[in-house]
Amino acid sequence: MIHNFTLPVTPNDLKLLNLKDIIFLNGLIITARDQAHKRIIALFKKNKLPQELKNLQGLAIYHCGPITKECKDEYVFISGGPTTSQRMDTLQNEVVDILGIKFIIGKGGMKNLNTKNSRVVYLNFTGGCGAIVKKKVTCIRSVLWRDLGLCEAIWFLEVKEFGPLIVTQLNGKSI
Amino acid sequence: MMDQDLSQLVNKIEDAISSIIIKATTEIPNDLSDLINKSLKAEVSEIPKSQLKLILENFEYAAENKIPICQDTGVLNFFIELGSDFPLISDFKDIIKKVIQKTTETIPLRGNSVDPITNENPENNIGENYPPIYLKIKNNNDTLKITVLPKGGGAENISKLFMLNPSEGLEKLQDKVINVIKNAGGMPCPPIIIGIGIGGDASYCMKLAKEAILRPINKRHIRKDVACIEIELLEKINKLNIGTMGLGGKITCLDVHIEIAMRHPASYPVGLIIQCYAHRYASFEINKEGEVAYDT
Repeated sequence: MIHNFTLPVTPNDLKLLNLKDIIFLNGLIITARDQAHKRIIALFKKNKLPQELKNLQGLAIYHCGPITKECKDEYVFISGGPTTSQRMDTLQNEVVDILGIKFIIGKGGMKNLNTKNSRVVYLNFTGGCGAIVKKKVTCIRSVLWRDLGLCEAIWFLEVKEFGPLIVTQLNGKSI
Repeated sequence: MMDQDLSQLVNKIEDAISSIIIKATTEIPNDLSDLINKSLKAEVSEIPKSQLKLILENFEYAAENKIPICQDTGVLNFFIELGSDFPLISDFKDIIKKVIQKTTETIPLRGNSVDPITNENPENNIGENYPPIYLKIKNNNDTLKITVLPKGGGAENISKLFMLNPSEGLEKLQDKVINVIKNAGGMPCPPIIIGIGIGGDASYCMKLAKEAILRPINKRHIRKDVACIEIELLEKINKLNIGTMGLGGKITCLDVHIEIAMRHPASYPVGLIIQCYAHRYASFEINKEGEVAYDT
């Protein structure tokens, strides 16, 4: 089954899903890799989570280190497929709890991700397909933690019909 | 050769290196896209078909827009074959670094050089002992050939070195490799290409494995006994049902290439290097007159 969601999603939206369903997403997604995950957890523990990360309930984290280019004080999206999700495996559950994220988008799946009771759903995007994402990103809204490097920073991306994303981990089951 | 001629030759080498970096990050060699097309025809289920269709669409979009196929523009591995009679004898490190720095900005490439101690990323793809350059001298030859292989992190992370017991090395080899591929699932971005180096020593078998990646697809090892192992492994791996991106399917591996070297009596080293389906590489050859020929 094919679903077209506009972010943020509600817990009820997730109840419509089955493994192997295909999803297209619209709205705001944020990129985060291992360094960003580590910092989210560290700052949360110190009660110093930045404001930008406090209203992300129902949104999606995209495991991605994109190529971007700075042009006249703004960033242009060049290429950005998914990175291997396994690297975030030990940090992911905590980050999902802290941010209230409902979708994890990446490649290769995650061994320890807790997807029970529609807590979060893992969506697989095709690895290596970086260029085509340029077509789906309508704008880069902002970037956080630029000091981590362009690749590890958190990019706030506005996307349109981002997909096909395959539901591969849902309610404790995976394909 | 006059100084002026030599500096013209250096300019031509710089331009050609820049061209192969652009080509190897934004275009896929034809034989590879043909193979992905073939895989698409071989698959019957909807999920692998959807993945392979998107992969082909992405190849096309990247080439049309001259942007990197994959955001991971990898570690740029350089393989240099330098003729002993080529007028410029050098390790070409400075030339390569200069061109990389420029192309990182112009294409652009992702900054993939990170200090392993401080985690700092200068975002220029160069730095200490980086990028890796492999230099080979060709005797009685007056040409210079340079190949670039952008090697992405996802596939590279699956690399393995096995120091097997010589009494069971050849028997265990296939199981060891298959086990790695099975556990890796979708992580190295299958359908993959597998390079294996058998023999030499720990570092040498890894180098052979990497060179094996660059052998043209579907070209078998010259020795029949080695070619047989390649074919057997390819068949066994394609029965694992890992499929494109690990989502199930008939095609998991596009080819297996093995290179061999003599080994120490007490050692049976096996190096394993995995390459993702987006197997990008490009090369050029330049002669002493400065004539450049490109091929992939």
